[in-house]
Amino acid sequence: MAYDVWDGDDEAQAGRLVPLYILVNGRTSPRNTNLDLATQVIALPVDPSRLELEYREILDRCARWVSIAEIGAYLHRPLTITKVMVDVLLEQGYLRVGVPAQQKIADRRLLETVLAGLERL
Amino acid sequence: MDRKSVKVVVAGGFGTGKTTLVGAVSEIPPLTTEEVLTQASVGVDDVTGVEGKTRTTVALDFGRITISNDVVLYLFGTPGQDRFWFIWDELAQGAVGAVVLIDTRRLDSSFPAVDYFERRGIPFVAAVNRFFGECLYTEAEIRAALKLDDTVPLLWCDARDRESSKQALIGLVRHALARMPVAK
Repeated sequence: MAYDVWDGDDEAQAGRLVPLYILVNGRTSPRNTNLDLATQVIALPVDPSRLELEYREILDRCARWVSIAEIGAYLHRPLTITKVMVDVLLEQGYLRVGVPAQQKIADRRLLETVLAGLERL
Repeated sequence: MDRKSVKVVVAGGFGTGKTTLVGAVSEIPPLTTEEVLTQASVGVDDVTGVEGKTRTTVALDFGRITISNDVVLYLFGTPGQDRFWFIWDELAQGAVGAVVLIDTRRLDSSFPAVDYFERRGIPFVAAVNRFFGECLYTEAEIRAALKLDDTVPLLWCDARDRESSKQALIGLVRHALARMPVAK
């Protein structure tokens, strides 16, 4: 090939070349402050090939609904970084977000659902 | 349908069986997620040994229970060290409430947790973990030692046992429901 294009292919073998905070442009908190460690997200059917490896790793975990805490645990990343990276993916339309647990629980029906669910266990 | 997350905090002193309880009822083996605390402005220009000097890692153990097609309950154990209160704040915000585990050999070790939820008006139940053998105290003595309000349910459980841990969670949700004002 005549073009001098690096397709990033050797990145996986070489390990991480840049610190995670570079990937999030030095952000230290998510723009969406409703994001909570229990908030669940799911990948949208969008081609992720333009994304950096670290972001694609997150999307790979989101084929089904999964919480930010689970993503952080599976990928061994600190929660704050995970939250910011998930926020970036939300902002760019790669993920869909569920209802955050951060909202004050004032929903009797939700609690009744939880109670019934626990009793069925 | 909207996907909803519900949180329950499992608190108590060091070694009271928090992760054991989470593991007993969770549908997945307990996971550990880490929060890295960086001490602002210390060692900013000094790159050597930064990791050791300015970062503290706080580990959180958690599990999950799928309640229905659209509701998942997450159980978060509080960090072993009592001093990371801001992490408790994140865990407690929006939570149904807390199960505070009590080890009768060290009643006082769960007092900070009781105090935390009491002060913030967050529903909680106190669960005496029988794991540690015969309880030497009466319910009244435990209530007095922990300054437990009469309205706070006091339960007995075995954190290793799924059914028993499940009953502690059910006790908490019932208590939270009972405290909730009835909508007109």
